[in-house]
Amino acid sequence: MSENTRATSSPKAPAAKFGGRGLNVAIVVAALVTVAGLALWFAQLSGGMVQTGMRNLDSWGLYITMFMFLVGLSAGGLIISSVPRAFGMAGFGGISKVAVWTSICCTVLAIGFVVVDLGQPLRLWELFAYSNLGSPLMWDILVLGAYLILSIVYLWATLKNEAGKVSGKALRVISVVALVCAVLVHSVTAWIFSLQQGREMWHTALMAPWFVSSALVCGTALVLIVVVALRKASYLDVAQAKVVKMLKMLGAFVLVDLYFFGCDLLTEGFPGGPGVEVVTMLTTGSLAPFFWGEIVLCAFAAVVAFVPALRRNGLIVAASVAGIAAIFCKRVQLLVGGFQLANIADPGVMAQHTVTNWESGMSGAYQGLVYWPTPLEFGVALGVVGLGAFLLLVGLKYLPLKPAEESR
Amino acid sequence: MRYGFAIDTQRCIGCHTCSVSCRMENNLPKGTWWNRILTDGGEEMDTPEGLFPDVAMSYIAVSCQHCANPACVKVCPVGATYVDSETGVVRQDYDKCIGCRMCMAACPYTGVRSFNWEEPKYVIDFSIGGSDVPRHQKHVVEKCTMCWHRLAKDEEPACIRLCPERARFWGDLDDPESEVSRLIREREVMQLLPEKGTEPSVYYLV
Repeated sequence: MSENTRATSSPKAPAAKFGGRGLNVAIVVAALVTVAGLALWFAQLSGGMVQTGMRNLDSWGLYITMFMFLVGLSAGGLIISSVPRAFGMAGFGGISKVAVWTSICCTVLAIGFVVVDLGQPLRLWELFAYSNLGSPLMWDILVLGAYLILSIVYLWATLKNEAGKVSGKALRVISVVALVCAVLVHSVTAWIFSLQQGREMWHTALMAPWFVSSALVCGTALVLIVVVALRKASYLDVAQAKVVKMLKMLGAFVLVDLYFFGCDLLTEGFPGGPGVEVVTMLTTGSLAPFFWGEIVLCAFAAVVAFVPALRRNGLIVAASVAGIAAIFCKRVQLLVGGFQLANIADPGVMAQHTVTNWESGMSGAYQGLVYWPTPLEFGVALGVVGLGAFLLLVGLKYLPLKPAEESR
Repeated sequence: MRYGFAIDTQRCIGCHTCSVSCRMENNLPKGTWWNRILTDGGEEMDTPEGLFPDVAMSYIAVSCQHCANPACVKVCPVGATYVDSETGVVRQDYDKCIGCRMCMAACPYTGVRSFNWEEPKYVIDFSIGGSDVPRHQKHVVEKCTMCWHRLAKDEEPACIRLCPERARFWGDLDDPESEVSRLIREREVMQLLPEKGTEPSVYYLV
């Protein structure tokens, strides 16, 4: 297609207009949720994090779960849009800009969740003044920052390329760099956990590639949902064949993710040592609902992806939602599972800061899930998600993200 | 020089005096215990394992192990927790800590690091213990300092001084003539989670 102008004049654009009142209302709602979240965050900081469900023996919770989850969501979109360009293959037609914008929003959210988890957010500047470059958390901050900047550059270059100001070659180089960075972001986030020999469930070399596969699952699923929704809202037009191609990829990624899970469980359980505890905790123990939830949701997504008769819009969205929910279940297993198995579980003095359910003693605290978030945590998390929705919608309204070309 | 502890589990009676003296010396806030006495026995505190008359129970005092290869120090993004090169003590800088709790996730020794989940509250409304103990801060991680303020005055840690059974020993692990080195050499010893490779500086005499 020859038109380089914004796609509103594209002959393929459907007649109905995107945006208008509905979009404005959504933006205002998202902004209000963000403001409410900010207020709750200040309440958390002034009244103390004692208002969260986190305690000494389960010192991370919903925020870090969401951080892991959103890092996954973010890179998926970028990988989906940059792989075709990097390898010079036919892409997914026009959706790449929306996909990259979704990635950018998710990256901002991931950073946001780390910030709300910090006890001393005013000391954030120390990360740059006293950086300990040996810390996986420091690597993550650097890579995540670089990734955010690169995604923005990539989006900008795509737009400039369409306007004829940046060469296709330059754009391709940027897409390769962005792709490498996306893979790194996942690996580094996995290393925050997997390099810790202290937690049985986390210490596995498979974690990094597994994070990449999970990211591909939920990233592809998110792009699918956004594309189907935007097509419905007449924002863009995408051929069904391309949607189906992406759905098949989702199915393949889901299976790879399950395969990795199987490999990891077998390696944990087979020697019969302490790893058996991890397998038991997941399959029949306190994390079983999240484990089986993940398996069932993944299986559903794969069935929809591979049975042609089921590839209807409603089911495609349902399969995508299932894929994202499955990965969220996995994040919960990873985070809570790391704390659920105490290395030293002998009973001793328990106090209000020891563990979430400290009144019931050491064995009682670990009976069910050792950690469960409080309403305040849900509220703050919702506020951060609101910020993401706000960014996404404002971007859709004001940025020229509609497809201007057909090929990639 | 590398300071370390030797704790005689044969002598320990589980009286928690070391825990309480630690709390007092360091003016610890409510709900914070840097040194905890765990019952190695049944499901509940102070209960033995097994059926009478074949029962067994002992106690282990668990606090920061001041590892020679500490997991916490590697992961702290700002270097707020670090090893003092002269003494081998693993230290924590409250003023630097950003409260990310990465060290708590990394430390294999369950419960030795504690976070001040709220503005520190105290049982009595004036400070007790060492006058040169750093002020406790909200939303930062803290842990056993090996009584750093006492070491500076050539005094032994508070937990050593008050143990009524004289079950706790402290000294230089690098000096073969020190009491701890001699005890570790002569007695059968155990360390917590040696398989994690952290090389703890606390030895348990069994």
